[in-house]
Amino acid sequence: MIELKNVSKTYGGTVKAVDNLSLTIPDGEIFGFLGPNGAGKTTTIKLIAGILNADSGTILVNGRDIEKEALEAKKQIGYVPDTPNMFLRLKGIEYLNFMADMYDVSTEERKERIERLSRHFGMTDVLQDRIQSYSHGMRQKIVLIGVLLHNPPVWILDEPMTGLDPRSSFLLKEMMREHADRGNTVFFSTHVLDVAEKVCDRVAIINKGQILFCGTMEEMQEHFKKNSSLESMFLELTESEE
Amino acid sequence: MKNKTLLLARTLIKNGEGLNLKGSSTFTKIAILIVFAILIPSFMFGIAFVVTGLLTVLKSMGQEGVILSWGIAINSTIVFVFGIFYVISTFYFSSDVEMLLPLPLKPRQIVAAKFLVVTIYEYFTTAIFFLPIWITYGVYMKCSPMFYLYGLIVFLLLPVTPLSIASVIIMIIMRFTNLSRYKDTVRMLGGMIGIFLGLGLNIVMQNVLGRMSPEEIMELVQKGENSLVVLTSGIFPTARWGAEAMIYHNQLSGFMSLLIYAGFSILIFMILLWLAQLIYLKGAAGLSETGSKRNKQGRKQLAEEAVRGSVIGTYTRTELKLLFRTPIYFINCVMINFLWPIFILLPLIFQPEEINVIRELSQVMNRPGIEGMILAGAFIAALFFSASNGITSTSISREGQELFIKKYLPVSYRQQLTAKILSGFLLGLVSVLSMIIFGILVLKISIWLSLLILAVVWLPVLYTSLTGLLIDLYNPKLDWDSEQKAVKQNINVLYNMLAAFVPAIGSAAVFIFSLSLPAALIILTLEYVLLCLLLGKLLFTKGVERFIQLEV
Repeated sequence: MIELKNVSKTYGGTVKAVDNLSLTIPDGEIFGFLGPNGAGKTTTIKLIAGILNADSGTILVNGRDIEKEALEAKKQIGYVPDTPNMFLRLKGIEYLNFMADMYDVSTEERKERIERLSRHFGMTDVLQDRIQSYSHGMRQKIVLIGVLLHNPPVWILDEPMTGLDPRSSFLLKEMMREHADRGNTVFFSTHVLDVAEKVCDRVAIINKGQILFCGTMEEMQEHFKKNSSLESMFLELTESEE
Repeated sequence: MKNKTLLLARTLIKNGEGLNLKGSSTFTKIAILIVFAILIPSFMFGIAFVVTGLLTVLKSMGQEGVILSWGIAINSTIVFVFGIFYVISTFYFSSDVEMLLPLPLKPRQIVAAKFLVVTIYEYFTTAIFFLPIWITYGVYMKCSPMFYLYGLIVFLLLPVTPLSIASVIIMIIMRFTNLSRYKDTVRMLGGMIGIFLGLGLNIVMQNVLGRMSPEEIMELVQKGENSLVVLTSGIFPTARWGAEAMIYHNQLSGFMSLLIYAGFSILIFMILLWLAQLIYLKGAAGLSETGSKRNKQGRKQLAEEAVRGSVIGTYTRTELKLLFRTPIYFINCVMINFLWPIFILLPLIFQPEEINVIRELSQVMNRPGIEGMILAGAFIAALFFSASNGITSTSISREGQELFIKKYLPVSYRQQLTAKILSGFLLGLVSVLSMIIFGILVLKISIWLSLLILAVVWLPVLYTSLTGLLIDLYNPKLDWDSEQKAVKQNINVLYNMLAAFVPAIGSAAVFIFSLSLPAALIILTLEYVLLCLLLGKLLFTKGVERFIQLEV
């Protein structure tokens, strides 16, 4: 479960990236976070992951405060950033071992998970190569595998489908569903409204640091009193804000 | 063609090679202001003062022109040695290379533009040494305006020859190391070969061209009429012509020398451009390609590799792997630890006569009662060798925009900082070890004294590792687009060298009061233990707070 209470974040003293944002994502739910470029999606995600410090408000991840019990809270999270270009000079296997050590994963567990996940994502043959030699999609996959090694209950994924081939994208969507169905939380941002429409239990639309709408697809259609696509509702919502 | 080259050079300069003050903290700006407004002018006045003294002596022998030729020769050598590092970084390892290659530019235009940028930066360092010598000579010898005009031309062309030679060497090496699948590794080797070859060539030049018996030199001295100027062509070939142009500025022979000096510089630059057109692309293309093996990872291999390690151990190992595998980091942070004994050993290989100097030095070092001072000297050497590698003083900067990764890991900032200290400390120890081995083998320092030094000399390494990390935490350079900006153009390395002066006071005291070994040992150990405890405390309180505040 993720809880944000009155969270605000300002850059450079003037630009309010996140403005008094409150949000609760219960267990067992896939939550989609939508918004135009520069709306505050990535900032919100970075606040939850403990990368940025909030100016005010509290963030709880499975009941742990991300600032006061930082390490415990971070262990609950599996975070996939929006750019997978990291540790390029490490081999795939070295990166996975690094992540497993940082998250305290036992030898047996990591062996089993590396084997299973890299087979799932078709990465087994390239684990001995440097990440530098990977394509964008492969980098995305190795980051995903690294994030899942400690079996985190809360997944936070920033644009996770970008660059993935159709098969891997399908696989990830299935994994997200299974993970949520086991009583865990999946929080992800996306530009692809189609994906959001099909996968999410609930969505929130954010613009200029404020939540414009938060609810299920049915609630959203109710809100607009018409039976239109997420795309047209999204456009209407964010346009009226311009 | 000319326009495109100039345009490219201007864009490269604008793209923030060099000191980019925009966005720097007030602390950085003040520090840089102090360096520029106080330290550099006082250094230049210092040179002018020394030059005036030397001129008085040399003029009485009719050898005052030597000042000019030495000035040009030493400057050219400095440009040459630093040029090798500069050229590798800007011609090949800079991230803009990949963006320039697809543009409709001729290879020689890219090389000419990059050469121009490096030359402009070289003017700053060259000016610090050359200006005081030039002006002081002109004023002292009451030269006509023509002298200043000739001097300006000599100054403007000064970096051209050494930089061209450095570029040619590097281009040839890079052409032939760009073959392997393991480019990073081969390129690092290429860079190393380039540096050694460059240094070796320089020494050979000095050796072949400058070898003269003492009698011959005496004869030259007695001859007067600036006859010694000829000798400096042994240090750097163009130095003699440049100096003669300036000395005989009011004669035809001066004009002829200027023509030869300028002609030689232009010729060697043209050779560089010709070579660039032929081989630059082949050396620079595929810069960041990495080989892929696509090996099936067998169960057995996975079982061997997927083994749990400690957090600090794995973190430190990863830091070291990145330092060794990133060419720019390897050349600037790792190699420098091995480089300095080679700096001393190379002349010995090429000029065996110098063994005598070492032998004399060794005799002095083994005089009884001097052990305290040797210990103090070892502490100073350890301080500066480990501060110069810049590992901890760029360790936050090297994270760049990837710093966010270190923020979401469930690893305490205290542990992360400890691992960063460890990586710098371990590599610093390597340079200290090579120093001790050098001491034992070459200077014949007794084994027991070496062991004693080994037992305590890690303290200054720890000190500079701590100060480096603290400095980088407070003034990190995170906004970079090419790795070389994180380490090469990072002023924190310089700040850390300055911080190394603080505890050197203890060593100075040992020298001033000629303290015995036990006294020196107690004073120095106490000094560093106290300082390291204080800095460690500071790192784990204020440093951690600062790490939390850092955001990208």
